[in-house]
Amino acid sequence: MIENHSQQQRRPNRVAHPDPRVVCLADCAMREIVELVHIELPDDEAECLLERGVVPGCSLCAMRRSPAGDPIVAVDGMLLAMRWEMARCLYVRRRVSDAA
Amino acid sequence: MREERSAQARRRGRRAASVDDTPLVALIGPPNSGKTTLYNRLTGLRQKVANYPGVTVEKHLGRARLPGGERVYVLDLPGINGFSARSADERVTRDALEGRIPGIRAPDAVILIVDSTRFETQLMLVEPVLAREVPTLLVLNMADELDERGGAMRDDVLAKELGVTVVRTDARSGRGVEGVKSFLVEQARRGAGGAGDAGRSGGAGVVGRRANGLASGADSRTGPAVPPSSPRRIELPVLGTFTDRRNRIRLVGQRASYAAPGPSLGSERLDSILLHRVWGPLIFLGVVVLVFQSIFTWATPLMNGVEALVAGSGEWLATRLPDTWWRALLIEGVWGGVGSVVVFLPQILILFLFLGILEDSGYLARAAVIADRLMMRVGLQGRAFLPLLSGYACAVPAILAARTVENERDRLATIFITPFMTCSARLPVYALLIAAFIPDRPLLGPVFGLRAATLLGLYAIGLMAAIGTAFLLKRTLLRGTPSPFLMELPPYRVPGLRTIGLRLLDRSRVFLRRAGRTILGVAIVLWVLTQLPRGPEGPPPVNESALGRIGQVIEPTIAPLGFDWRIGVGLVSSLAAREVIIGTLGTIYGVEDTSDGSLELQHRLRRDLDLGSAIGLLIFFAFALQCMATIAVVHRETGGWKWPALQLGYMLTLAWTGAFLANYFI
Repeated sequence: MIENHSQQQRRPNRVAHPDPRVVCLADCAMREIVELVHIELPDDEAECLLERGVVPGCSLCAMRRSPAGDPIVAVDGMLLAMRWEMARCLYVRRRVSDAA
Repeated sequence: MREERSAQARRRGRRAASVDDTPLVALIGPPNSGKTTLYNRLTGLRQKVANYPGVTVEKHLGRARLPGGERVYVLDLPGINGFSARSADERVTRDALEGRIPGIRAPDAVILIVDSTRFETQLMLVEPVLAREVPTLLVLNMADELDERGGAMRDDVLAKELGVTVVRTDARSGRGVEGVKSFLVEQARRGAGGAGDAGRSGGAGVVGRRANGLASGADSRTGPAVPPSSPRRIELPVLGTFTDRRNRIRLVGQRASYAAPGPSLGSERLDSILLHRVWGPLIFLGVVVLVFQSIFTWATPLMNGVEALVAGSGEWLATRLPDTWWRALLIEGVWGGVGSVVVFLPQILILFLFLGILEDSGYLARAAVIADRLMMRVGLQGRAFLPLLSGYACAVPAILAARTVENERDRLATIFITPFMTCSARLPVYALLIAAFIPDRPLLGPVFGLRAATLLGLYAIGLMAAIGTAFLLKRTLLRGTPSPFLMELPPYRVPGLRTIGLRLLDRSRVFLRRAGRTILGVAIVLWVLTQLPRGPEGPPPVNESALGRIGQVIEPTIAPLGFDWRIGVGLVSSLAAREVIIGTLGTIYGVEDTSDGSLELQHRLRRDLDLGSAIGLLIFFAFALQCMATIAVVHRETGGWKWPALQLGYMLTLAWTGAFLANYFI
């Protein structure tokens, strides 16, 4: 389910998630700790993340931006630099207090 | 030297691993977890280590140095996150583990080394590794850092849960390595192949094989090796989805009372400056300026010292040897040729000192992040920036490092543009010509002079040519979809004095060996050619010698660039190695100007070249692919002659055109 994603198109259209607390990582504030729910990337790209332990259920936190504005994300003590394009395909759940 | 030594070790190791029954133990783990540091500790070899992911891209085989003299071969492999083997370096690891590399059988045992500060993500590899059913040792590396940052782990419970022996190490300092050696001793006692049988007949589920007796000798600070004492509670391997795997690892962590370490505050503070939107790029630029200025200012006294030593020893020899042909060969050929290159050793070492500090500190991975958007515009990604930066040292390992680029088209484009990066062999040529033709004037106060600016400009045009070429390739021959970018940023570390010192020592050996072999060989051949045809009155004038005639055949093709036959001969000889041109000119001028036997190349160059042609020669060197070793490695990495031939033709055309325009307009 979560790790299955369409290969029909390289970049699936973003659709609003039924759970209002689920947003894409790119929309989260810096230093906000969130839980990964869903990766909406083609298999080969998603596998790069999954192998590094970026799997649904894990905690993510965008720590800072690179000079070009891309996010640098903390996962289990590891810093991962990625582009915003990828961060837009990572759906995360905010904490209740944050969402409120 | 290092490459040669490792090649010898590989040959020795391959022979041994394929012929005799010596046990073979593979070191595997995620990138930048410390595999090669541990490998160096175990074998006493000096493979390159640095603080960024993707340093090791080849297999390295070496014999472990064990206290009892037991024979075990250790196989160091490129880092992997999983067994999907998307990139060329990951395929090396997969093939080695499956015994698909000719001459190297599948390993008899595995050492899985992980960064203990990132337990959950790093242990994603544990199930696929245990699934291979060979004796496995789990090494929790960087254990000191885990303790320092307040992390904790019950190794005995972890060993019990996973059913493998667990050892804590800090490979950089060597703490805990005794536990790993005990595992190797155990494998030596089992013998090749015996371990696999033990694994299959062990009976305790899938992972019945264990290495026992590891506790002896383990460092007290890093903790003793912990053998498992009862069947595991979680039956591994149960691969399933990545999510299932991560959940199981989390459960194992909970049972082993794993407490994640706190954030690395020092790294966070440094990142807030070095990755700052404004300060980040400015500091990057500042570092670059400092490197280029120091190459001229710091190296000068050292170079003067080496130059005086070479000239003094040459004169001393000349006065004490009889006036024979071999004295002429020694003084004009060897001292004139080799000596004129050796004086540039201090500059090379300063460049490598800075590169070493950048690589070991962890800054290089940040540089790749800073460069990613620029690389994306030309169709590549930030990861390709790391091989390009390695190209500042030497194109050969840099081209190998392109294996870390997953997309095949991107890898080919990276290989194609890497020789444009200014390798250290170009540095002596640049330094000589700049010192001869560019006045020593301050440009931005005393900090940054005109000579340093010229050198920086030459590095910049190499980089721009690389970027422009990538842009062209990615829109023509290597068109494809943009690749995603994902880069792990290691914590900053203080560069190890020993590591950098050894690297400088190795680099000096490589440089002097090249001077002693290639440049000496070329200098002797050229000197002999200057002596032929020998008439009754001795050798002919140089321009009428065999060498002069060869040069005059080349001259028409380079005359539009403002070069004479001497430069032409230098350009041809520099195909062996770029800096050979200096040795060649040293030999030719040494033969022509026997009055003082001086090594004053700059003075002679100013007679033969004007400013335009000197700039043209600099541009020619910036663009041309004058390196047989690079051509050979491109052939090997691309699997044919198409790409090296295209690369040679393209770069030569660009070099000739650039030099022509410089000579015409300046």
